[in-house]
Amino acid sequence: MQAIYFLLALFLLLNLIAGMWRVLRGPTAADRMLAAQLFGTTAVAILLIVAQATGDPALRDVALVFALLAAVTAVAFVRRAWPDEDPRHDTD
Amino acid sequence: METLTLLALSFDALLNLSLLYLAWILLNCEDLLKAIVLFVAFGLLMALAWVRLDAPDVALAEAAIGAGLTGALLLTALAKLRVIETNKGTTQQLKQDSENFQTLHYMTPLALLLVAIGLGYVVFSMPPISAGLSNDVATNMGNSGVSHSVTAVLLNFRGYDTLLEMFVLLVSLLGVWSFGSTTSQHETTPGPVLDTLTRRLVPVLILVAAYLLWVGAHAPGGAFQAGSVLAAAGVLLLLMGWRPGGYLSTLPFRLILVAGPGLFAITAALLYLLKGQLLAFPVEYAGIIIFALETTATLSIAVILAALFLSEPPHSDKEHI
Repeated sequence: MQAIYFLLALFLLLNLIAGMWRVLRGPTAADRMLAAQLFGTTAVAILLIVAQATGDPALRDVALVFALLAAVTAVAFVRRAWPDEDPRHDTD
Repeated sequence: METLTLLALSFDALLNLSLLYLAWILLNCEDLLKAIVLFVAFGLLMALAWVRLDAPDVALAEAAIGAGLTGALLLTALAKLRVIETNKGTTQQLKQDSENFQTLHYMTPLALLLVAIGLGYVVFSMPPISAGLSNDVATNMGNSGVSHSVTAVLLNFRGYDTLLEMFVLLVSLLGVWSFGSTTSQHETTPGPVLDTLTRRLVPVLILVAAYLLWVGAHAPGGAFQAGSVLAAAGVLLLLMGWRPGGYLSTLPFRLILVAGPGLFAITAALLYLLKGQLLAFPVEYAGIIIFALETTATLSIAVILAALFLSEPPHSDKEHI
């Protein structure tokens, strides 16, 4: 059973690395940020699986903090970085 | 069992390689916004690495600070930097700075290489198998007042480390305040989505902060993690355009700022006078002392981090009335 958990975690990590391509290529800042947010979601999934595999409930707390604070980064991006980056969206 | 080790090993190898690759690109990145996004991704992977190293306490701190708060802090710093740059243009001073940076560019790797050699020497000169101080910690756990070894070390056995860290945070805030206020960015009113998100998220963040503080006594968690989650609630409110204004300079706010380090210092001084030893908690009261210290520390850390994010010094009394 543990082997299946680790196989799943490995698969998710590969997914995450595939997502890195989008972070590097862009082309806009929002593409990069969304990919990083996807990283966060994937990392939460990996943490929950590893928590199940190793039987360490503290990892679920780490996953919880991840999930909550990823939203703060996203809000910071929307409020601080995005309008400057693309003036086309400023006309609302 | 054989496949399990192989899978765990390949997971760790992949994680390490992507960490090194990310760090390399991140340091070579010209586009600052891209670098910030890469840094957030790096923080995420780093937290996973801490989990694999069996250090969930550090993973929690990394998740809260590295992947959460630092991203918001850096994005805001970048936004302010852009405002300053558009106001001033590329002046001679900036050119001078970048020329100075060029010499630093060659000096930094040299300094880092020396540090790496020193660290490598220390690592290789250590005995291959050693229990370190973990046996001492295990035998003294009964006297610590808590049942989680990391909290016992941070708040009891090596309490002065945490005491000094609290003061470092406070001094860093004073340092930021001494720069004076910066040009504030134009704020747009948040749309309904952001508004609803904030209303739902802030209470949850406060609840999780309280949970992390409480759970710290017997499992990974504690003041720094709880403080940064609480600070995230404040950062979210600040991002939505909430401004404390004159409230920053009021007495209650100042008291909360110094409560954590202050209570810690007072406890240390009292114990030194009574028992002749700094921060040697009496066994029967250790649990309650640690809880009181952690609670005030959480509040202070949260307010200090949120104030660092705001980075505007409080107005003097004359101005805000």
